[in-house]
Amino acid sequence: MIFITISRQTGSRGEEIAKLLAEKLALPIINRDFVMEHWFPEIAGDHELHMLAESPGFYLTHTSQGPTFAEYLEEKLENYIAEQAAVIYGLGSQIIFSRHPAALHIKIIASHEVRTNRIMQSHNLSRKDAETFLKITDRKHRRYISTIYDKDWSDPLLYHLILNTDFLSIEEASSLLYHMAKNKQITEDSSVEHPEQPGEKTVVFKHPSEEEFAKILDMYELEWEYEPRTFPIKWDAEGNITLAFSPDFYLPKFDTYIELTTMNQKYTSEKKKKVKLLEKLYPGTNIKIVFKNDFHALIKRFGLREVIDNK
Amino acid sequence: MSFENIGRTIFTQEQIQQRIAEVGQEINQDYQGQDLVIIGILKGSLYFVADLTRHLTIPINIDFLSIGVRVGEANRTGVVSFKKDLDLSITDRHVLLVEDVIGTGLTLGYICQHLESAKPASLKICTLLDNPAERLLNIDIAYRCFTMPDVFVVGYGLDFEERYRNLSYIAEFNRK
Repeated sequence: MIFITISRQTGSRGEEIAKLLAEKLALPIINRDFVMEHWFPEIAGDHELHMLAESPGFYLTHTSQGPTFAEYLEEKLENYIAEQAAVIYGLGSQIIFSRHPAALHIKIIASHEVRTNRIMQSHNLSRKDAETFLKITDRKHRRYISTIYDKDWSDPLLYHLILNTDFLSIEEASSLLYHMAKNKQITEDSSVEHPEQPGEKTVVFKHPSEEEFAKILDMYELEWEYEPRTFPIKWDAEGNITLAFSPDFYLPKFDTYIELTTMNQKYTSEKKKKVKLLEKLYPGTNIKIVFKNDFHALIKRFGLREVIDNK
Repeated sequence: MSFENIGRTIFTQEQIQQRIAEVGQEINQDYQGQDLVIIGILKGSLYFVADLTRHLTIPINIDFLSIGVRVGEANRTGVVSFKKDLDLSITDRHVLLVEDVIGTGLTLGYICQHLESAKPASLKICTLLDNPAERLLNIDIAYRCFTMPDVFVVGYGLDFEERYRNLSYIAEFNRK
């Protein structure tokens, strides 16, 4: 069971992304409003609730039951996550769960210029007022983390991933995080909760033909890994990778990569070019392409179901 | 036996026997002073093993393996298994696996993994026909007699629906 913590800069659209992500994953969202409404009233009166809403320093005050409000919040979050996955928005959760194996820590940012423009629009403010608004809220976020946990909120090492929404829409960012969470879930399921047994693999295949091919490898008891490596094969003038190739399967005992293509033969030239480029750049790498006809011959031979073409 | 679907001869009896003799000599040289276990894969390698081993002058044992693929029901995976396992122990012994045809190498990979689990001193592969264009697994073939033509063939152990194995030559076969 994995969970996601989301930290955000004001104006980064982090809140919208967190909500959409929670919706996509069908998970509850735990944010400050939730905590103020459901958890803190158990131990705090009106004045204390007011102080908790206003002052980070007040979180270090001891409750009538002993622990500080910060410790109480930490314990509530830990107990909640022990029972139920969630998207946790803010609350210093990236610190509280910093080493938790099932956590994904995300930070959403945007440039100062973009954030200013968004605040001007959303709050109907002048540029000057929007800049002041950002300055104050950024300081508050920073102070909450530094006061309670003595950590630097802007430290990128606190996060698995930092998304810049200058170039990503809410939908794009939430989809990306959704798939990241799903992948993390698979890893979590196989490595923590259910240690992988020989012949039992939990893999999400991108195409049905890959799943069928995996069955054939399993029949022959040939150990395989699914897309274990991505080979960069083209770079631009600045050294950025512009083209990469992830062969579908790797058979470690035979040191062989296998790429399936069930498209019509005339569309496979692109794949052949990629393979040639890979072989040139990574000499000694054994990579084979299984073409449509060969694939269907294998499937027919073993009585497996026919699969959709055009991979 | 109906020969109406038999096409042109690809490898004559003489070509086959001459090439097997050459490969036999190579094996004699490579294994000089050593004992060798020859393992044939049934049924296709039957004649090949019989002819090849008669060219060998080194001490040998012969054994056979048979594997089968039971086709699965719809949407189910078939099962590959050994229908006949080895009678001899190959642990710490030099082994030469003799195949009739090597294509994708999937079957060969399965067999090699099985044999390697018995920890032989060495394991090499010899094939009558090799189709490297079809190969998926990176497996070293030590001895090959011929490259597989791009047609379906029968004869000299190779069958179509269990027939034509006993032809003394290898011929093209029209399956339609």
